[in-house]
Amino acid sequence: MTTSAEPDWGHSGELEDVSGEIAIVGVGDAIYQRASGKSANEIALDAIERAIADAGLRPDEIDGLMQSPFMGGGFTADTYRDYFGTGQSIWMSTDGGAMTWAATAPVAAAQAIREGKARHILNLFAVDWFSQKGKGGEGPGKYHGEERMKANFELPFGWFPQPVYFATIARRHMFEYGTRPEDLGAIAVACRYHATRHPDAITRQRPLDLAGYLARPMMVDPLRMDDCCLISDGGGATIMTSLERARDLAKPPVVVAGVGEGYSGSGAYWSQQGDFTASPQVFSAPRAFEQAGVTPGDVDVLTLYDPFSIVALMQIEDMGFCPKGGAGDLVADGKLHFDTPGLAYNTHGGLLSHAYVLGISHVNEVVRQLRGEAACQVSDCEIGVYGGYTGHMASTLVMRRDR
Amino acid sequence: MSTAPLPERGGSLTEPFWQAAEEGRFVMPRCSGCARYVWYPEEACPHCGENEIPWVPVSGRGQLFSWAEVKHELYPAYEDTLPYVTGIVTLEEDARVRYVTRIVDADPAALAIDQPMQVVFRTLAFKGVDGEVVAPVFRPSAGAAPGKVDE
Repeated sequence: MTTSAEPDWGHSGELEDVSGEIAIVGVGDAIYQRASGKSANEIALDAIERAIADAGLRPDEIDGLMQSPFMGGGFTADTYRDYFGTGQSIWMSTDGGAMTWAATAPVAAAQAIREGKARHILNLFAVDWFSQKGKGGEGPGKYHGEERMKANFELPFGWFPQPVYFATIARRHMFEYGTRPEDLGAIAVACRYHATRHPDAITRQRPLDLAGYLARPMMVDPLRMDDCCLISDGGGATIMTSLERARDLAKPPVVVAGVGEGYSGSGAYWSQQGDFTASPQVFSAPRAFEQAGVTPGDVDVLTLYDPFSIVALMQIEDMGFCPKGGAGDLVADGKLHFDTPGLAYNTHGGLLSHAYVLGISHVNEVVRQLRGEAACQVSDCEIGVYGGYTGHMASTLVMRRDR
Repeated sequence: MSTAPLPERGGSLTEPFWQAAEEGRFVMPRCSGCARYVWYPEEACPHCGENEIPWVPVSGRGQLFSWAEVKHELYPAYEDTLPYVTGIVTLEEDARVRYVTRIVDADPAALAIDQPMQVVFRTLAFKGVDGEVVAPVFRPSAGAAPGKVDE
């Protein structure tokens, strides 16, 4: 796991090592089974309220807020203070949110805490895309259609939106590595297996087995309906503080043990990525594991940002859980299920089956697993990992139980 | 008002491509310094820094790198073309150049990765969008057996 073996089509980020410095002490999710009619800010507040209660803190003790620069509407310090009726000053950061930032937010949080800017920092993310869909909102495809080279050399040819990119990647992966529809299906089925055992999951009443998966219609061949993420309203909040402070709070601290970040050199142009069938986890995961002093074989639970089954399959390979092209064996026969020996994966159902909250609930799920509170609890769960992804970026967050 | 998914016309980095297509020519930007193709177009060559990157004709022959068959409406303007095949063709001149394109005149079930492909020009129009554009798209090469042509 040295950087000397790094391929040339991307690079790793230069994040400061904050391992052992910061812990996650509160988690809250707000998942809606259908259109909530709420704004993204209102959804975020629901999740925040739950995270604060989970941490055993008072609303006036939160003095740091992290969010995504992409979260529409803008959640301000006043949004928080007005809702909770508090008057504290609040450190604000846009280095947070979901996707890759759900994994890297602890780095900026640790720095802010160290510098005395804040003590209890809340990372938040929420979307109202299901409600917006009903109102003619544009949802996740919007950000892609506006890019100039895509507009000129991809959209006219129908290579848009995201399901099309990833279907094309999946077919090439099948060609290069012998990946089968059943391998993608095993990922979708594992997500659903967990979702049907999870009280929050949007698909909790829609069981799916491999035969059912294979019988479902193609959305963008070779991706079937169940290879593609849900669109939903929902949000999550995660509270971080110093490890020292964390030990005084209500729940057992979950320690941030390692953080990595990786970039593809081709930006948002999936078609031009040097290695078409890989993710930037190649550049992200090694450093996170190194900081944590663990290897993929030590991981008890893994959650991955999974907009499509193929994205999860590539990340499993690129993070080193198996050799490149070898994920088919690793995912088969229920080995991703929480109650079967193997690699417990997306034990809340992921973006495919839990909700489309873009990864923040993935982090919260790992926290619950490490506390022993999960709906699909993995036994003796000590090390958990979240892998974030946005196409040109990937990130890795290794978490462990305290001591 | 957006005319997407028609290409925006007139951009200095992109217009020569569409102008040539209107004339039935398939061209690619090629660096005058290092002779590498620069795809997608850029102001300066990412390989050598050269700013002189003329558009040059290419053969229109290539290989099918990968493809997807869109069967479900994901974007309203594509609705009238469903189902359709879109994908990536690598150029005979340099297989590192990946050209995103529509795949036409093909039975999706008979397509195979790396099979030889040939450019053909088609007028593209979209539901609910005014205007049209002539675009270089690809079809399987006539008479070529599908499958891998070489290793």
